[in-house]
Amino acid sequence: MQLRTKRTVIGLLGLLFMLSLVLVQALEVAHRREQAGLAAAHVIVPASSQSCVTCHGQPQQSPGIVDHWEDSTHAQKGVGCVDCHRADPDDVDAFTHYDAVIATVVTPLDCSRCHPKEYQEFEGSHHAKGGNILASLDNFLAEEVEGFRADEGGRHFFNPHSPTPGRPEIDEVNGMASAFVGCQQCHGSKVGLLATDGTAITVDDLKPDESGKPTNLAVLDKLEKDEDGRPKFHPGTWPNTGIGRINLDGSLGSCSACHSRHDFSPRRARQPENCGKCHLGPDHPQKEIYEESKHGVAFRDLKEHMNLDAENWVLGQDYTQAPTCATCHMSAHSRQGTPTVTHDAGQRISWSNRPPVSAWLDTDAEGKIVTETDPDVRRELVVHTAEQKRMNMKQVCLHCHTNDYVNSFYKQYDDFVVLYNEKFAKPGQAIMAELGKQELITSTQFDEEIEWTWFYLWHHEGRRARHGASMMAPDYSHWHGMYEVAERFYIELIPQAREIAAHAAKEGKQEQADAVNAVIDEILARPEHAWRKPEEAADEE
Amino acid sequence: MNGVRNWIQERIPVSGVELAEVTNEPVPNHLRRWWFCLGGTPAYLFVVQIVTGILLAVYYQPSPETAYESVRRITEEVNYGWYIRSVHKWAATLMIASVILHQMRVYFTGAYRRPREINWMIGMCLLLCTLLIGFTGYSLVFEQLSYWGATVAANICDMIPFVGRLAKQLLLAGDEYNENTVPRFYILHAAILPATMILLLVVHIALIRMHGVSELKFEDETDDGPGHYDFFPDHFYTELIIGLVLMILLSVLATVFPAIMGPRADPLTTPEVIKPEWFFYATFRWLKLFSGTFAVLSMGFIVFVMFTWPFIDTLLRRVTRIEEISVWIGIVGVFLLVALTTWEALVPH
Amino acid sequence: MPDEAQDAHTDLSAAENADRTGRRRVLGRFASFLMVSGLAAGYGMFAALIGRFLYPNRDFSGVWQFVTDLGGFPVGQSLLFRSPRGQQVVISRLKDDGNAGDFVALSSICPHLGCQVHWESQNDRFFCPCHNGAFDAAGQPLSGPPKDDNQPLPQFPLKVENNLLFIQAGTDRLA
Repeated sequence: MQLRTKRTVIGLLGLLFMLSLVLVQALEVAHRREQAGLAAAHVIVPASSQSCVTCHGQPQQSPGIVDHWEDSTHAQKGVGCVDCHRADPDDVDAFTHYDAVIATVVTPLDCSRCHPKEYQEFEGSHHAKGGNILASLDNFLAEEVEGFRADEGGRHFFNPHSPTPGRPEIDEVNGMASAFVGCQQCHGSKVGLLATDGTAITVDDLKPDESGKPTNLAVLDKLEKDEDGRPKFHPGTWPNTGIGRINLDGSLGSCSACHSRHDFSPRRARQPENCGKCHLGPDHPQKEIYEESKHGVAFRDLKEHMNLDAENWVLGQDYTQAPTCATCHMSAHSRQGTPTVTHDAGQRISWSNRPPVSAWLDTDAEGKIVTETDPDVRRELVVHTAEQKRMNMKQVCLHCHTNDYVNSFYKQYDDFVVLYNEKFAKPGQAIMAELGKQELITSTQFDEEIEWTWFYLWHHEGRRARHGASMMAPDYSHWHGMYEVAERFYIELIPQAREIAAHAAKEGKQEQADAVNAVIDEILARPEHAWRKPEEAADEE
Repeated sequence: MNGVRNWIQERIPVSGVELAEVTNEPVPNHLRRWWFCLGGTPAYLFVVQIVTGILLAVYYQPSPETAYESVRRITEEVNYGWYIRSVHKWAATLMIASVILHQMRVYFTGAYRRPREINWMIGMCLLLCTLLIGFTGYSLVFEQLSYWGATVAANICDMIPFVGRLAKQLLLAGDEYNENTVPRFYILHAAILPATMILLLVVHIALIRMHGVSELKFEDETDDGPGHYDFFPDHFYTELIIGLVLMILLSVLATVFPAIMGPRADPLTTPEVIKPEWFFYATFRWLKLFSGTFAVLSMGFIVFVMFTWPFIDTLLRRVTRIEEISVWIGIVGVFLLVALTTWEALVPH
Repeated sequence: MPDEAQDAHTDLSAAENADRTGRRRVLGRFASFLMVSGLAAGYGMFAALIGRFLYPNRDFSGVWQFVTDLGGFPVGQSLLFRSPRGQQVVISRLKDDGNAGDFVALSSICPHLGCQVHWESQNDRFFCPCHNGAFDAAGQPLSGPPKDDNQPLPQFPLKVENNLLFIQAGTDRLA
């Protein structure tokens, strides 16, 4: 090469170098604009998801989900559609969609590919087990009392008894409708694929292994598929984002229950409205209780200052203004050695106020409450103590309250729960048990008035009272709570039990009637019930 | 003009002509081929590293509490911080790659043979320093992978018989990662290793100058033309071109693949997939193939053989009477290196 | 160089030759100029980026912080405000208009060479021990180097909102 040529080359390369630095400068300016909020954050569409975004982004497609995704942290970090929706060809719900093998439902197992810690914590939580309500009282209400449940093997349908004008095609009534729409949208459905005979193929039929692949391949022949080879979902079980959803791959739960798709906003999951989808209403008004409490009032006032968009949202570092549901039960705080959020919302709860009689949350290796009373056997069984869980919660409280304050709050709370347990819950339980034992009520639930009375007492009013006490809402503790518990107990439960006994006596079941009356008499003779004047008590008898 | 020149000449009595003569050594014609300039490339990149390294040190805070945050601040807040950091990272990658290529070129052209054995060994020291400086630099970010990489590396040190524990303790400033570990890595990365490398480089280049660059003739060259050309300005221009090409390459790499940040180091959770930087892939795979002490000792043996290769080579040639034995061994070695690296790159564990 | 060798063998007229060398010289000058300007542009811009990198881009002026409510702060009173960064600020109320103009928030840093001044109640003045500078209660220089250069004590920005007094001061702690 001639020297002159070399010099020219050097000159040109120097200019090229400058041009590359101009590119650097352009990026820097874009970066600064983004930081100053002048430009939207940069969205990285990974190559594998480019065609999804292009196609679904068209107005005649579903541009909403693309927009939601573009506002997500996933989009900024280059996590695209296929990264979450991708499936293996041997996954039972996999189908080929324009060269990509994907599945519709993204399960916690899918999310665990990137979020293993969150997955593990969540799978161990009580939330994840929300779908196991098949045998519960609530489910009985929705499926049988409110709906219609056929015997084993039958279809849960009955015939309409008169036509619906304008809808001549309605020729059957789905008895599970209330369970699907009510219970399962919070608790989670057992996701099912439609079989050719119209039934659902669920995790029970597929028996998936640890990686979520079905082991019982025989049922796969029964899958109903559309013309593109895409398996169809049983319409009762999907769409569903219940927190304890039982997925086809065997994993439990649904991350989108709290982290709404497709923007997966941690900001939203941190706010009480998010929990309020399910934790509200007459039986467990946690949301309303929170709103009444000083905590909720402060949150409404100071929400804008709470750094809800912070990356880790650590109490004591990012904010201290007010706690939300997430703050106390899940979120990171500065007193942890390394501040980390937990996705097991039960790690800081010491009383279970769900059952008729509140239970102290000493749990065994499987997370079940230990009911054993012998101290030595207890010690053997208990793996996670309620005391430890309470300590976990106190670490949160102590960010804003002194030790004495927190301990005295817990004293008030404990006393309240014990009062409810001892004065109303255990006696009520004893009366109901005696009625059952003497066969003065049937074993079927909700077919006698007193069963509804008792259900109202503990499931609605009793829980309202206890939840009110646990989260500092005095009106719920008292007027919506203990006041109504007392009224239900004295004015409905006791008289109804007496009446059943009197009725039984008339029918010649004197012995049984006496047994029930003895239980009631013993209870009412206790000092805490002695406020009632003897003549009033006599009237009732 | 002359007055100024005389004034300077009087105070700094170095004659320009003499200086030109000393530095303007004749460059053999074969250096017109670019692959013979692979030695100049790491040297140029080393200068880039010193410049960008000093710049980064202006904002970096070497302590476990602040390290990650300060790197994050450099990447996200400081003007052009992401660019400087990315250039530093990419120059490191290119430097290690070009050092390895340079060594391969020297090896396969037999340029380490008598009388250049010592310079080969100095080159080996430079290679080890480069790898070590790459390792300590990566650890300074204090992200999950770099933290666990350092922990694993220290525990590999521990497997060396007799001195292993001491080496580990010296590296980590204790039996495990503690608050003095990051400052130690920092001093190694930013002071001790660069100073050592500068000294070694001076000797390395001085020896090249004294021996003269080893000369090669290619088949398409005629014997009658001049065998050399001038360093100034002819070869200097070549180096300028290489420098600019490298700068453009670095800027483009920095903008297209900027250095990002992994999650902050968490001593309580080991990441699912843990890997060192790419230049340790082969070593890492080797260590996973064999059990602890053997793997470490065999690794040490390989380094020792590479170190003393000029003498082993002479011995081998004398014994086997095969002139090109080193080439065949070299091909096997390179194949192994590439295979182990690819293997490690392709599997998650 | 091969093409030069070729040139020597080619038979050209003297005029053409002269013309060619002239053009070659111009081209050579142009190449040199291009090289120098290319190098200057490339490395010069790199140096400029480095300059920007070294220039601090963080704003240290601080954030608005609550001081007190106006009701509890009568005219003639002063109070000591210590910012989270540790800056000591003397805030005095001079008027009763109910706006920020009523107050002065004096820094305790001497404008001369940055030492800390302190209030001498017996002399009714701020005093700087480094070079015997003195200031009156409103921060105006009385004697010493600040007086010579007519440098008052620096002031912090203040504002009044809803009858509450706020100050803009630093929050980053050095130690």
